[in-house]
Amino acid sequence: MSMTENKNDSIVERVKENPGPAARWGAVMAFLLLLEFGAIWGGIMSIPWDVPVKGLADVLPAAIGGVVTGIGSVFADVGNAFAEVPTLLERQWIPNRGYHVPGEGWQGTFLGLEPAYAWLIRLTLVYVYAAVTAYWAWRGYMTFRRHYRYADWTPADDMIDRFRSHNWGRFGLIIVAAFLVMALFAPAVSPTTESQNMTNPYDTENSMVKYYNENAGEVQEVTAGSANLASKSRGDRQNFGLWTYDKYDRFHPFGTLTTGKDLFTFMAFGGRISLFIGLFASALAGGIALSLALLTSYYKGLVDLATVLTSDAFSAMPRLLVLIMLVTVLQEHWISDIYSGAFLLAFLFGIWGWMGLWRAIRGPSFQIVENEWVTAAKGFGDRPWSIVKKHVAPYVIGYLLIYLSMSLGGYIIGAAGLSYLGLGVTAPTPELGRAIAGGQDLITTKSWHISVLPGVMITLLVLGFNALGDGIRDAIDPQSSSGDSSGEAAAAGGGA
Amino acid sequence: MTSLYQERREDEAMGAQSGERLVEVDGLKTYYGEEGGLLGGKPVKAVDGVTFDVHRGETLGLVGESGCGKSTLGRTLMQLETATAGSVEYDGTDITTLSGKKLKEWRQNVQMVFQDPDSSLNTRMTVGELVMEPLNVHSWKTPQKRRERVRELLDVVGLSEEHYYRYPFQFSGGQKQRIGIARALALEPDFLVLDEPVSALDVSVQAKILNLLDDLQDEFGLTYLLIAHDLSVVEHICDRVAVMYLGNIMEIGPVDAIFDEPANPYTNSLLSAIPEPKPNAEKSRITLRGTPPSPRDPPSGCVFSTRCPYKIRPDAYENLDDDVWEGIEVFREVLRERGDVTKSVRDRLRGLLGMETTGMDVEEVVADTFDQLDVPSDVQQYIDEAVEHVERDDLVSAQEVLHEEFGSVCENEEPEQLAVGDTGRVSRCHRHREEYMGTQTYQDVHDFS
Repeated sequence: MSMTENKNDSIVERVKENPGPAARWGAVMAFLLLLEFGAIWGGIMSIPWDVPVKGLADVLPAAIGGVVTGIGSVFADVGNAFAEVPTLLERQWIPNRGYHVPGEGWQGTFLGLEPAYAWLIRLTLVYVYAAVTAYWAWRGYMTFRRHYRYADWTPADDMIDRFRSHNWGRFGLIIVAAFLVMALFAPAVSPTTESQNMTNPYDTENSMVKYYNENAGEVQEVTAGSANLASKSRGDRQNFGLWTYDKYDRFHPFGTLTTGKDLFTFMAFGGRISLFIGLFASALAGGIALSLALLTSYYKGLVDLATVLTSDAFSAMPRLLVLIMLVTVLQEHWISDIYSGAFLLAFLFGIWGWMGLWRAIRGPSFQIVENEWVTAAKGFGDRPWSIVKKHVAPYVIGYLLIYLSMSLGGYIIGAAGLSYLGLGVTAPTPELGRAIAGGQDLITTKSWHISVLPGVMITLLVLGFNALGDGIRDAIDPQSSSGDSSGEAAAAGGGA
Repeated sequence: MTSLYQERREDEAMGAQSGERLVEVDGLKTYYGEEGGLLGGKPVKAVDGVTFDVHRGETLGLVGESGCGKSTLGRTLMQLETATAGSVEYDGTDITTLSGKKLKEWRQNVQMVFQDPDSSLNTRMTVGELVMEPLNVHSWKTPQKRRERVRELLDVVGLSEEHYYRYPFQFSGGQKQRIGIARALALEPDFLVLDEPVSALDVSVQAKILNLLDDLQDEFGLTYLLIAHDLSVVEHICDRVAVMYLGNIMEIGPVDAIFDEPANPYTNSLLSAIPEPKPNAEKSRITLRGTPPSPRDPPSGCVFSTRCPYKIRPDAYENLDDDVWEGIEVFREVLRERGDVTKSVRDRLRGLLGMETTGMDVEEVVADTFDQLDVPSDVQQYIDEAVEHVERDDLVSAQEVLHEEFGSVCENEEPEQLAVGDTGRVSRCHRHREEYMGTQTYQDVHDFS
């Protein structure tokens, strides 16, 4: 600690004073991010920007509205151009798509390897990259701690230490991280492309499949859509199960669907949707619950009573039925188009998800608000919202995270359930529930994988989030130690 | 270190000498809850009409037993509670009418030091953040200057700079209280409300904190309102002291005068509870009968009348045997406690349905109280009448009978503030009036202890 002399500097000044460690860390991080620059932009561009821009343009007078859409389209062009920048983990560097010519081996694949190995290499690389980046982000925190933070110790240090020794929580973190990586890098980890598998299987430009026709003795091309017709998993008569090649030399690590599409690709992209629904709905429900808990605990009385009644009113409506009704009613509405209905679903889950969360953190909030530091803050004239934000929220957010991690699984399952019923996320956007529904009749046949693998994935994902929540709970609140069966009750009822 | 308050120090020192009034409280009332309501509830009269001044530069002590409304009064002065009636003038402005921006502006003048440093310091903030918070809220100068000021403040209250990035739980109770004091001083207030600042601390640390507060007052010309139940603390540090009972100020005056010669009966009994350091010292200790009445339903007349050992007797009973008189008072107190209106909802419902039972064996009470005594027949007849009422579960009538016969000016008229001596001391007691015997005389005549 060389900087005990002048402890008044802001973090920027501290970095300026001793730029070495920060610069070294920043350079490596920048390099890591640059490798995936195009993908990051692709991610940004995949947000449906046109919806808010169009909405804005419609509200504004025509002249200004035109300008807004004009500016929007310029940004879109630039963004798309950035998104085109090739990245390290793009499939074109390590292609797994090729065809086998007898006597000459594999053509078109990475180093002439069998497609399965080429795909495995790419998959491994993606996870290695993700692991290195995550490690480096952690290194960044450690660098800050070692070189730039004045405090020798903060309560967060203890929480991190506790989490690090919490095996169940770490297991959850790894599962969740693995699925996050799979969803984020879905285009790179999939054996085939989104266009071939989902959006445009009959496109003659992007969705052509080369294969060696033995009868003709030459390499021919066919659209992915036509190829899919010949690779359907239909039970015992015809099945493309785990780790198989179809007649067009396409590799299917998890087999194919009843439509002949690749299941792994379907699951990777479907995981994106599931995670989006889970995280967005949790954020919305958690945000509402936290705001209301803070308000009701600060103002008490009538505000609290009104919220109790509102939450009871919401709870009294059967959630699933209301969701089914709203999804059906809003089918023609533009909101159903955003993200193929996933946005609407997530939104509705969030709007109908806050009551239990609010109830769970209302008690702790009431408890925390009674502390004299809240009175002290009133005493020097702080505003109510900033008081609860600074002096109540930090104590309650821990509980909220735990409950969220548990309800998040519910949202994912709920969305899958609705898709299973044919509602919610519409085709061609993949949703795990739809795969389960599609493969249901074949579960006793050779094509069991169609239902079972997506089901296992959802189960693992939900389990992972629950385990992570468990770990966070124990890390935040040392009193509810792991292995204590009453831990959950303590989290529900106890304060800080 | 001395740059903290420099500009105003001199005029404030002068103000203290001239006895200029900084805070003028007039008829202040703070009630919790409202009259009426679904089940006929009554408001809790935590502060029930107090009038006093705080002079610039002095330390005014506020003493009284738990639940007498000291803390509520302190919080009302800080505008943390809304006054039900009356006014609080701070430097000429009535602060009970302030709101919004003006209130926030005014809050810089008055700060509070809390009783429990564990609860008054947010455990997830560093000491630096805690002390800087008021400065941030009021956007005081630049962030850089704020950090400097926090360091100065830590220095002033006897902490060191290394403590800036530590968390409250890493400190001892006394150190935590120092952090609280530093935070209170951050905005250069003139007036500090000290709400039992040392009662949560070890005795050895108490003196240090009190001395620190004393030094700070000298240095910065602060005005203190010290809320305490520890009378020796008050004696040690206060210039004047106000004695509170059940939401009322019974006596207020210079601390020496009050401690040497308490005028009000309540002060008298309160001070008699101070333990003497000498084990064999002769000391008459006045034990009050019963418990304090509920602030929901304070007694009529003088609030202390139900427990007052110096209560004025009706002329007819002036010469009644002291023990018999005491017995009557005890009996009335028992009836009063049983007939307390602060009942649970269930009890109130029972009352409404006519199923009320007092569950008391009145014969036994009367036997306990009067058996050893020679009760004159004219007194006995009223007691018997009351007992009859009680046996019919009619506590109100029983109380009325006794009040009618044994009540006096103490129960019928609210005492006004009367000057005692020439030290500016005022006290609320009918005994200060010319027509009644003074407390000391009464004590000598009736010789009780």
